[in-house]
Amino acid sequence: MIERVSRTLVRRVLAAALLTGALFCGRFALAGAASLQEMLDGALAPSAAPALLGPITSAGRVGWECKPERAAASARAHDAELPADPSTP
Amino acid sequence: MRVLLLVALLAQLTATAGTAQTYSPSTPLPRTTSVPALRSFAIAREVEERFKLGIDAESRGDWKAAVPEFDRIVALNPGEPKGSTAQYDLAIAYANLQRNDDAARALHAAIALDSGFLAAMANLIAVDLARGDLREARKIADRYVALDPDSARALYSRGIVALQSGDATTAREDFGKLLHANPSYAVAHYDLALAEERLGRFEAAERELLSALALAPAYARARFALGVVLLREGEHAAARNAFARATLDASGDPALKNIAAAMRDSIKAP
Repeated sequence: MIERVSRTLVRRVLAAALLTGALFCGRFALAGAASLQEMLDGALAPSAAPALLGPITSAGRVGWECKPERAAASARAHDAELPADPSTP
Repeated sequence: MRVLLLVALLAQLTATAGTAQTYSPSTPLPRTTSVPALRSFAIAREVEERFKLGIDAESRGDWKAAVPEFDRIVALNPGEPKGSTAQYDLAIAYANLQRNDDAARALHAAIALDSGFLAAMANLIAVDLARGDLREARKIADRYVALDPDSARALYSRGIVALQSGDATTAREDFGKLLHANPSYAVAHYDLALAEERLGRFEAAERELLSALALAPAYARARFALGVVLLREGEHAAARNAFARATLDASGDPALKNIAAAMRDSIKAP
């Protein structure tokens, strides 16, 4: 009688341990996949924000012909003071 | 002898007339005894002088010295465009002192004084991004693009804000438009590729990254992104090669170098 109870108990404990183990493994696997995804997403970061445009003198804004204002309105990326291409010497 | 002397004298006079130049004073001399008029002259003079001192301080990177000069001009409340210009210059000093909230406040004041001040909008977006206020940055970027739809900086700035806030559709439109006018700008190809990747358009992303790399072959971040896109497309061997190349090219960026090496090593060699 005692033997039958202990066998049942061992089976139940073993099943519970296996189930818990499976759940933990699945959880870790999911966490691993999620962290890889996060790692890749984090590495695919957008380029930097453009640097601040420079100061304007009191005379420099006459007729809005000052350099920062021209840079802000330019259609050419080169004149807009945007981040430089990485290979540009 | 007399003729020679006369010729020499005339030559001297001509040379003097050629080099001499009269200078008008930067501020006209007051020709009044009226107290309000004299006060107004004094204020105008102070504004001019403080602008010079403030700009000199900013050009030598002495941001702390620049702040009180522009602060004083703002307090003197000069007319436009000097009022908004002083706020704009004050914001530059604040931003360089990492006082981004103060910088944003000054730039808002500049734009309130002059609603078409594009340089102030451009700098406000950069300041908002630095202080992590994406909502405010997007509001200003929308206004900037509406005022000048062809401005490269407006399109780039809104594209970056859109990418950072998860609006890949707007980023795709803005970088696409920027590239239409500037097809050889590699950075914009990279950012357009990120927008395409986020929209699940992997082929388009790959195309843009290859364009970026054709323009800038040592562009490590673009090479790494190409590896990610190839991985998503199931091209493991090509992805491994891209990560390996990114590891070599990212020598100046240790974080990118490490992650590229980890990605390269996580893919089994064929």
